[in-house]
Amino acid sequence: MRRWSRRAFVAALLKAGGLVGAVRPSSASDTPLRFGVTPVILDDDVGFLKRWSEWLAGKLDRRVVLVQRTRYQEIVDLLLRGQLHLAWICGYPYVQHQGQLELIAVPLWHGRPLYRSEFIVPVESEAQAPEDLAGRLFAWTDPDSNSGWLYPRFRLDASGFDPDRFFRRSIFTWGHARSLQAVANGLVDGAAVDSYVRETLMLHLPPLAKAVRVIERSPLFGFPPIVAGPALDPAGRRRMQSALFGQATDTEGRALLANLNLDGFSTAGPEVYADIAAMAEHLGRSRRS
Amino acid sequence: MTRMLASYRVRLPLALSVTAVSTAVLLALALGLQTLHNLREDQGRNAQRLGHAMAALLVGALRQDNVWLAYSLLRGPDGADGNLIWVLADENGRIFASNRPRTYRLDQLLEQALPGLEAVRSARNDAVQAFEVEGRPEIRRLVHLALESEGARVGDLFALLSDRPFLQRFYEILLGGVLVTGGVLAFLLPIGWIWGRRIVAPLVQLADCMARVGRDDLRTLDCPVATGDDEIGQLGRCFTAMLGALSEKAQLEHRILQSERLAAVGRVAAGVAHEINNPLGGMVMAIDTYRGGGPADARTTRLLDLLDRGLHQIQETVSALLVEARADSRALTPADFEDVQTLTEPRPTRCGAPLTWRVDFEAQTSLPATPVRQLLLNLVLNALKAAGDGGTASVDISATDGRLGIDVENTGRPLPPERLDRLFEPFPSRRRDGEGLGLWVCYQIVSQLRGSIDVDAQGALTRVRVRIPLQPDDDDA
Repeated sequence: MRRWSRRAFVAALLKAGGLVGAVRPSSASDTPLRFGVTPVILDDDVGFLKRWSEWLAGKLDRRVVLVQRTRYQEIVDLLLRGQLHLAWICGYPYVQHQGQLELIAVPLWHGRPLYRSEFIVPVESEAQAPEDLAGRLFAWTDPDSNSGWLYPRFRLDASGFDPDRFFRRSIFTWGHARSLQAVANGLVDGAAVDSYVRETLMLHLPPLAKAVRVIERSPLFGFPPIVAGPALDPAGRRRMQSALFGQATDTEGRALLANLNLDGFSTAGPEVYADIAAMAEHLGRSRRS
Repeated sequence: MTRMLASYRVRLPLALSVTAVSTAVLLALALGLQTLHNLREDQGRNAQRLGHAMAALLVGALRQDNVWLAYSLLRGPDGADGNLIWVLADENGRIFASNRPRTYRLDQLLEQALPGLEAVRSARNDAVQAFEVEGRPEIRRLVHLALESEGARVGDLFALLSDRPFLQRFYEILLGGVLVTGGVLAFLLPIGWIWGRRIVAPLVQLADCMARVGRDDLRTLDCPVATGDDEIGQLGRCFTAMLGALSEKAQLEHRILQSERLAAVGRVAAGVAHEINNPLGGMVMAIDTYRGGGPADARTTRLLDLLDRGLHQIQETVSALLVEARADSRALTPADFEDVQTLTEPRPTRCGAPLTWRVDFEAQTSLPATPVRQLLLNLVLNALKAAGDGGTASVDISATDGRLGIDVENTGRPLPPERLDRLFEPFPSRRRDGEGLGLWVCYQIVSQLRGSIDVDAQGALTRVRVRIPLQPDDDDA
């Protein structure tokens, strides 16, 4: 199977609607586990998501349904309303709703539960720093993203700019991969993206990743976590944790992790998201309470 | 080069090739232009259809300020390499999205990016219309679609159409035409060459024949020319007919010359005979008178006898030259032919030549018997002599169309052509046998009877053909 052909990838990118992968395990005893996925990972590889949900279903002995939505907020809303048991979301919505959400696992990337936000410009751009993008076109990822919204705004604010007026015009792409595309295709002059998504995408689509240039990297932040909502009982949370923590020791699980470009899942605590929480507080932008 | 081009061997394949090439090129051009036209129409229709299909979503994107949605829609499945250039403008006339985001920037004023579009925008014409952009010569046409929501204009969608995607196919068609032409040429040139040769071959043959006319003897000219049903065959037949006519004319001229010469010889002979006869008569009479005068001595008598014999020999020769076909003899009857047959009967056995007679003569005639008998006798004896040992001879007497026909044939030694020409002249120089006056006499008789005599020699066969009118005018001697 040619999994990451350009056409397939682009076609998948354009699919903005909710994607539902339903899996029927060998012994379907109770209600399926509903797992929300956001563009903090490359959520366009339907084949991978299906294999991962099958693997999870086998470990949990429970049907697993992966749920996708266009925006982070929709997933977070579903999670908070109990319509999802689990979700892989960004650290920013997690800190916003820390009281209702429980941290299940934090992915390990390059051996650490950390990632960065990166300012990117087209490779031919003359911009050397985010300040050079003043009065230009800019792409935000999602208003609930840390690396594609919260941090870049914090960065501009810290330099004394009003993030809402700094650019001539800005757009939302609703995904890091799309922000990369918007920059690579010249739709915008710059964007801020998740370093993990950018590097992983570079593995799959070298030409796209090569069309952009990183002009500034943020400090390290806590990696987008997998969190549980009120709908998942403690037993289910423990089973989920053991499945995820054991994934790196399982042959098929390792293959799936390799596909995700991750090393495994860790038990890192909420403290790795302290910086994000601080930035959110600073900007006073906790819009969703 | 001009000479070479003048040859049909070159001109025909050349003409075929030129026809083939021009046909192929024109066909390819026509096909190409038609294809170009069709492709342009399809492109326009496709743009309109696509625009309408995207309209609802684009309206939504405009109202929600969702640039990415509009962009990904316009970019479509072809990415940035699509043939159509889409430009979406918002209600303020600023570019909202395009599948060429580098050229048509987000938020750029439409009029600034594409001068002239404002006019198109207000004209609200959704047909394919001509449109040109300075510095973008490939853009030829555009389709405009006004985007409305509940009757209110929320934006405008433009599709800029270019010929660039078709030119490749246009050139491919042209190239195909050229290749086909090449193939056809490779096939046609040898065929044309062979065809040209086949057409030209009979013409060349004809030309060769024509060149021989005037150089060679027409009567012996053996010229095979084409006689097919086509125009060249017609030409060949006409040429053959012309050759026949020319040959006939030459033969006629030859005969006239011959008879004129013979007539002149006859006149000279008659004149000479007349001039000789008068003194000859006197001399013979003088000898007679001398003898009547008394006996002479033996020596004189011997001399007179010698003179007398010599003078009589001269008289015989001269009278033989002076052939007189007098009308005062009795008329010819079939019995005369039997007489001649009887007279010549012993001859064949002696010479060894079988002689066959065929007499078919029932007509009434006023022809004098004596000269005709002499004529026939001379001819038969001549034929028998010519036939020699091992030859054959035949005589055919007939009366048709009011004319007596005598055909005498013999086989034997072939008659050389130069002899044939002077056959009827008296004392032919090379003739060693006979007195040499037989055919001369025949000719004189036939001429005086207003008839014709021809000799025809074909190899070993020699034929003498005599035609004499059965009722000659009596007043002509």
